[in-house]
Amino acid sequence: MNIEQVVFYILAATVLSSAFMVVFNRNMVRSIFLFFVTLFAMSGLFIYALADFVAVTQLIVYVGGMLVLMIFAFLLSSKTILNTSATHKTSLIGLHHLPGMLISLLFFLILFVTIHQANPEEIGWVRNAGNNTLVASDNTIHAIGINLMTRYLIPFEIISVLLMMALIGAAHLARRTKKQ
Amino acid sequence: MNFYITYILISVLLFSFAAIFALFSVYAERKVAGFIQDRLGPMENGKWGTMQTLADALKLLQKEQITPTAADKILFALAPIIIFISVYMGFAALPWAPGVIPAALNIGVVYIFAIISIEAIGILMAGWGSNNKYSLLGALRSVAQVISYEIPAGIAIISAVMIAQSLDMHAIASRQGVGTPETIWFMGFWDVTNIGGIFSWHIFQAPHLIVAYVIYFIASLAECNRAPFDIPEAESELVAGFHTEYTGMRFGFIFLGEYAMMFLVGMVGVVLFLGGWNTPLPNIGSLRLADWTTGMGWGIFWTFSKVLLVVLVQMWIRWTLPRVRVDHLMSFCWKILTPLAFLCMAISGVWRLLVM
Repeated sequence: MNIEQVVFYILAATVLSSAFMVVFNRNMVRSIFLFFVTLFAMSGLFIYALADFVAVTQLIVYVGGMLVLMIFAFLLSSKTILNTSATHKTSLIGLHHLPGMLISLLFFLILFVTIHQANPEEIGWVRNAGNNTLVASDNTIHAIGINLMTRYLIPFEIISVLLMMALIGAAHLARRTKKQ
Repeated sequence: MNFYITYILISVLLFSFAAIFALFSVYAERKVAGFIQDRLGPMENGKWGTMQTLADALKLLQKEQITPTAADKILFALAPIIIFISVYMGFAALPWAPGVIPAALNIGVVYIFAIISIEAIGILMAGWGSNNKYSLLGALRSVAQVISYEIPAGIAIISAVMIAQSLDMHAIASRQGVGTPETIWFMGFWDVTNIGGIFSWHIFQAPHLIVAYVIYFIASLAECNRAPFDIPEAESELVAGFHTEYTGMRFGFIFLGEYAMMFLVGMVGVVLFLGGWNTPLPNIGSLRLADWTTGMGWGIFWTFSKVLLVVLVQMWIRWTLPRVRVDHLMSFCWKILTPLAFLCMAISGVWRLLVM
């Protein structure tokens, strides 16, 4: 095993173990901060997939934006509400778990059937993938920019309109209401 | 195996640089504060008080590390490390001289921008972990401010990147002096490809980048939590903000992170706007000043002196301006800096297409 593989397995183990701890941790603040570990290690895995721009974007969007927002929402909410949810007793099998179990089982079923029916050898882009490889020193942002402006222009524009709507909505909500 | 040793050596070098820089800049800060307020500053330890920060560092090392009883022990202990490491990792992508860059990333600018944003998590950890009202309020104020000012800073950076047409810090620096791979124009009308010097810096290639640099500089002050944007640690209201409960070397690490951050944001500004490692001296006819003062040693010298000048201005501003009120701070960011930054970005696009 060379050192790249060792680092990869360390990163993968960090992602999995911290993700489990996020779910099972009783202390909500700690689980949010553990989520940071998950996201950070995930961006390391993106670098292994030669998607350096995605890795860095993951840091900016999820760590710098989403996670901070989650912590803010947490810190600004009342402590008593959080305590009641923390002491809420749960057993593994119970009626209130039924919807959750149903959804996860159905989702598992869908995944299982899809993977079973898919025939990866027959899909065109999988067959051609051998001729279409990246080297670690390749500059991926040029390809991303060109693709965003040509092939994926409509999704790109739709997302930008959506974000614009969110911005306008946020500005409207934050506006001072006029005194009657 | 050899290059692993090089990696470790370079990271140790960068760490010791950050530590030594913090040591010197704390001394400089006190002296600057003293001179601005018409007093002498530290004078007792060593000649002109030069040993003062060394004595302070020794004191910090010896101090007991107190953890409050009600604190979240793990978060409290980890926060200073995350704050420092996030800044320290940013140093990896900074170019010092032609060819001297610890990690030549294709996306260096975005990388530094992303890494700096991790500092907010560390500050929130410190604020929450301390289990103290002042710390929590300080952390909330700090993060609200850092996130708001990231927007004008980011857009000002983008307007420089649009002129340079690259996200690689090394390529951006090399496009602002002699030896540039493409022709560059002073203010869009005078070909200075072979003249170089101060005329080929980004702020003089496109004059609106002067505005963009001022926006970036103001926003970077806010990101460092430095006066006049130091409401997160406003002594008169919040004791010391998010690091109220820290003692000993943990406090030392937060302090180290703050000063390393000053150098980091200063250097990013220098590389993006002020020519990076390029010399300010132009070629005049057969007097090849720019050619003579470009190279590895000179590059490090110019980078260093430019960044120190920027850091000096940061200190000067800290001891000159009063603290900004919270609502003024936010309205200044959202109503003045952000629209101006957007305007700079739009002008950059037009400039790149029509003038360059």
